[in-house]
Amino acid sequence: MAGGQERILRRRIKSVQATRKITKAMELIAASQISRSQARIIANRPYRHGMQRIVIEAALGDPAAAKKLLAVPEKVDAAIVLVVTGDRGLSGAYNSSVMRAGERMVNELRSQGTTVRLFAVGKKAAGFFRFRGMEVEQSFVGFADRPNFSDARLIAGVIAAPFIDGEAQQVLLVSTRFHSAGSQSVHTEQLLPLSMPDVIVDDTPKPLKGYTEFEPEVEQLLMQLAPRALESEIFSALLEGAASFHTSQQRAMAAATENADELGLTLTRIMNRARQDSITTEIMEIVSGAEALRSGK
Amino acid sequence: MSTMKVEIVTPEAALWAGDATALVARSSDGDFTILPQHTPTVGDIVPGIVRVHTDQGELAFAVHGGYFQVGPDDHEGVTRATVLAGVAEKTTEIDVARAQAAKEQAEADLASARSDAGDHAAQHLAESALERAELRLRAASK
Repeated sequence: MAGGQERILRRRIKSVQATRKITKAMELIAASQISRSQARIIANRPYRHGMQRIVIEAALGDPAAAKKLLAVPEKVDAAIVLVVTGDRGLSGAYNSSVMRAGERMVNELRSQGTTVRLFAVGKKAAGFFRFRGMEVEQSFVGFADRPNFSDARLIAGVIAAPFIDGEAQQVLLVSTRFHSAGSQSVHTEQLLPLSMPDVIVDDTPKPLKGYTEFEPEVEQLLMQLAPRALESEIFSALLEGAASFHTSQQRAMAAATENADELGLTLTRIMNRARQDSITTEIMEIVSGAEALRSGK
Repeated sequence: MSTMKVEIVTPEAALWAGDATALVARSSDGDFTILPQHTPTVGDIVPGIVRVHTDQGELAFAVHGGYFQVGPDDHEGVTRATVLAGVAEKTTEIDVARAQAAKEQAEADLASARSDAGDHAAQHLAESALERAELRLRAASK
């Protein structure tokens, strides 16, 4: 019966509208999180740049000691890869693009004969990598949306330990960098040995010329400084990852809401036509019934 | 009196920035005071109270360990001193009741971590929490 089809369509429209409500709410929540997480990136900048300046300063103060901490290792037997993803999905390509970049990197390292130990931030990574036969050694979950500095400290402690013990010669980071609200990109960098921050924007931190004093001695200072600098870099990656996640989710949910609108419209049209069809059919039936009765008189 | 630019910076925010006449803190080599025109220096700061003297009076910050850098600013002849700390707060903004509660909690945690031998991570966490709480109380009482 035509009426049955109408009922099915009405039910589908209702479910599309309910979904739209959810995606719209998620879009609004994500949008409100964007500005907050962006503000946190900006608030973190002075600390990060200050830390980079101190590292540069100390490295220039004792190039010999700095070499151990800063130079690219000649032979990497074992590397640690940290992949920064989100705890939740429904965020477009945010998680998958980071994980795919991480997968590429792991494959490349393995093809060079390097042992790779994988660590991840976010719930999504463990399943993705297990499916591809790569075990995530430890996942840090629960704070990808709003990372605190203590979270960065925790991660830094865990992933730096094998490097300090000499079990790994390189620590790499795969994360999403937040350039602006309109532009984010997946980025790979070396965390340990500390990469000399090559581009330090605007904040003027050109290495100071001339004589700098160190308290305590520069070699000791560098050793202490390395874990702090690592924390700082991880924290900024977490902050930028969170901002990118929210941006990406906002965009994905806006698109989903639009799709739901469109789908609702199409379904309403189909339903109206179905209703009209059934009315037409009913009228036809009545009229032809009446005709048949009259001619049979 | 000449001044210099001083910043107290944490990963979450720039805690304070402004003109100051002196910066007093303690590094692992001992107490030090930075005055304007100080020679460029990089060093660490052990957990303690960092004092900043300004024309408007003295400010104190509880700094839970960090680093400092002194160097020339972009502006000719101006000295800039930056204090970088993982955790720091203005002493006037310390919540004494909360710090007291945190101290008691940390003491309890520490006791249980010690009896539960082998749990070094928990013990370490409790120890640093206790240190922070004690520093906060010390800083707030002054």
